[in-house]
Amino acid sequence: MTLTADAATDSQPVLDVTGPWTPPGTLLRQMWNARHIIATLARREFFSRYRRTSLGAFWSVILPLVQAVVLAIVFTKVARVGLPGNAFVYVFTGLASWSFFSVTLGVASTAIVDNAQLASKIYFPRAALPIVTVVANSYIAVVNYVIVVIAVYASGVDPRPQAFGIVAAILTLLLLTASIATLLAGMHVYFRDMRYAIQAILLVAFYVTPTFYPLGQAPAFLRVLDEINPVTGIIELTRVGTVGADHHWWIPVIATYGWTAAVVGAAVLLFSRHDRVFADLL
Amino acid sequence: MSDIDLNAAISLRGVGKRYTKYDDAPALITAATHMFRRSRRSKLWAVRDVDLDVQPGESLGVIGRNGAGKSTLLQMLCGVTAPSDGRLRVRGRVAPLIGVGVGFHQELSGRENIYVNATILGLSRREIDKRLDSIIAFAELESFIDTPVKFYSSGMYVRLGFAVAVHTEPDVLLIDEVLAVGDLAFRMKCFDSMRAIRAQGATIVFVTHQLTIIRSLCDRAIVMSNGTSVFDGAPDAAVSHFHDLLRIDQDEESDLGWAIRRSGIATVDLGALEAGDGTTTSSINGFDKLALPVTVHAEQDLVDGFLGVAVHSEDGTLVYADSAHETPWPLVKAGTTKRVTIGLQLALPTGAYSVTVGLYQRSDIAGKQVQLDLAPPRLIHVIGRPMVQGIADLKATFGPKPRAAATRRSQPAARRGSRTP
Repeated sequence: MTLTADAATDSQPVLDVTGPWTPPGTLLRQMWNARHIIATLARREFFSRYRRTSLGAFWSVILPLVQAVVLAIVFTKVARVGLPGNAFVYVFTGLASWSFFSVTLGVASTAIVDNAQLASKIYFPRAALPIVTVVANSYIAVVNYVIVVIAVYASGVDPRPQAFGIVAAILTLLLLTASIATLLAGMHVYFRDMRYAIQAILLVAFYVTPTFYPLGQAPAFLRVLDEINPVTGIIELTRVGTVGADHHWWIPVIATYGWTAAVVGAAVLLFSRHDRVFADLL
Repeated sequence: MSDIDLNAAISLRGVGKRYTKYDDAPALITAATHMFRRSRRSKLWAVRDVDLDVQPGESLGVIGRNGAGKSTLLQMLCGVTAPSDGRLRVRGRVAPLIGVGVGFHQELSGRENIYVNATILGLSRREIDKRLDSIIAFAELESFIDTPVKFYSSGMYVRLGFAVAVHTEPDVLLIDEVLAVGDLAFRMKCFDSMRAIRAQGATIVFVTHQLTIIRSLCDRAIVMSNGTSVFDGAPDAAVSHFHDLLRIDQDEESDLGWAIRRSGIATVDLGALEAGDGTTTSSINGFDKLALPVTVHAEQDLVDGFLGVAVHSEDGTLVYADSAHETPWPLVKAGTTKRVTIGLQLALPTGAYSVTVGLYQRSDIAGKQVQLDLAPPRLIHVIGRPMVQGIADLKATFGPKPRAAATRRSQPAARRGSRTP
C-alpha cells in the first residue's frame, strides 16, 4: 500500500505504485523533489502573464492602490467610519494582504483544471500547480508590503519592534494562501462549481475582513465572523506594530494558524487519496 | 502472482485500471444527494490483470485496437494516473512522448519553452544550458527559436517536443503515436535517434498503429485486447497475432503472415543510394535507374537467402515490395560478405519515399519465409513527371487512334503464348 516516486538516488528515480493511496510522507517528499519544477513553472507563469502589456507586473500593484484610495475616500468622506491616523494608510495595511489573497486564490484554486493539458500528460505532483501560482504571485505580496512600510513611516508612525510582525504577516499570508489554494484546487477537479462559488465567497468575505474598518469597531456578530476569517489574523499582525491593532489581536492570529494547520491537513488527506487519479477527471 | 521484478526497467503485476463512468455530472449538489446512491455510477475496467516485465535496453511495442487499453497502460507507466489494482514499478528517468509539446506555453518562445519542458522532464538548469544548442539543432528551429511557439506549425511543435524529450537522456522513453506527425525526413531522424537512445541502454515502449515501426524498432511486442495483454513475444509474431485478432488477412500489412524473424545468421546493410551514373544521390528523376548498393554479411552459413526491397511513401503507405525469392543464393559461407546492387526505377509522382532492404531465407514451412535482418531505411526524393497524381506513375499513353493502341496491346499476349510449349 505505498506509492513512491522519489529520487532513490538522483540518477535513478523510481516510480513504484500500488494500493489506493499515497502515504503523506511520500507526498511531501514528492513535493520537495518537484521544487525545481515549481520554480520553473512559476517563472513561466510570471513572464507569460504580462507579455505584451506596457506596464506589465505593475498592474497587480496599481489595482490595490486604486482600490485603497477609493475605499479611503468612501469610508471617510461618505460613510464616515472613524479610521485611526491616515485613512489611506490604514486601509492599505488591510488591502495589502487581502488583495493578494483574493487575486491569488481566484487563479490558484482552479490551477489543476486550468493546467489539465500538462497535468494529464506528464507526471509530477499535481499539488505543485496551485503552489506555482502562489509563488508566481508572491511578488505582489512583497511589493504590497514594501508600500505598506513606506506609507506607514511616511505618514509619521514611529518605528516599533512589533513592526517585525509584518515579516510574520507575509510568511503567514503565503503559507495560508498556498494551503487553501491547494485544497480548493484539488476539490475543484471534482466540483467544477467551485470556480464560481469561490468568487462569490470572496466577494462576501471582503466585507467580513477588517480592511476598511478597525476590528474593534465591528459590531458583535460581525466581530465573530471577522475573527473566524483567516485573513484577519494577518491584517492584525500587520497593524500591531504600525497603525495599531485591536486589544485582542492575538485571537484572530491564533485562528489564522489554526486554519492553516487544518487546511494543510485536509489538503494532504485529499491529495494522498486523489492526486493519483486527478488525471482521469481532467 | 509472482513478485515484482526489481531489476526490470518496467515491471507490472496484476495491474488494472478501473474508471468510474459518471452518468450524472459530478457537481456539488449531485455529490451530496448521491452520496448514498453510488451504484448509479458504472465502473469500467480499461486495463485488467496485466503482468509485464521490460528489461533495461529492451524496446517493446504495444499494439491493439482503439480502446484496448494501450494509452491507459502508457499513462500508468509515466505516472500520470495510478492503477486501481496491482503493482507497477518503473525505474529511471521517464520521458513521455504522449502529447506533443506538452507544457509548451503559447506566449513563450521556443527557447523559453525548452527550459520549461526539460525541467519538467527532470533536467537541471545547468544540464539544459549544456544541451540547448544540440536541442535547437535537432529540432531544426535555429531561426525560429526566439519566436513564441503560438506561431509554430504543428510540425515545428512536434520537432521541438521530440528534440527536448530525446535530449533528456531518458532511461525509459514512452512513445504514443507521436511520430505520425512531422515529415518523413524528420521521422527518419527520430528513428535514428531512438536507435541511438536504445543503443545507450534505454528502454523504449511504443504504442502505435504503424506496424512497420513495431517491426523495425522493437525487440518484442505485446498485443492488447479488451484491457489485457493477450500476446507477448517477437514483433512479427505479435503482428500476426494482432491480424488474427482483427480477422483481416488481406490488408497491406498481411505480408508479415509469411515471415518469421530470426537473428544471428546474417545481416544486411544498405549503402548510400546511387544514380545511374554511379554518383551518390538523395534525389532522382522518376525515369532514371536507381542503384541500391547492398552488403550482406553471413555470420553463419546462409542457405537459400534472398533479398527483398520495399518502398514506402511519406504517409507510410507501401508503394511497392518485391523479392528475389525465386532465385535465392544457394550458399553464402559463414564469415563472407556479399555485395549486390539492386536496380530500381521509381516511376512515382514527386515526393519523398523510403527504401528498405530486407534479407530473407526460404524456410521448410510452406508459405513462410524467415526474415533475417532489415537494413535501416534510406530516404530518396523522387522528381516525377509534372502533373502526375496518385501513388504510382503508370505512364499512360494517349495515342491518336484506338485501333493502334489495341494492336500494341495484343503483342505481349502473343509473346506469352509463344513461350508455352
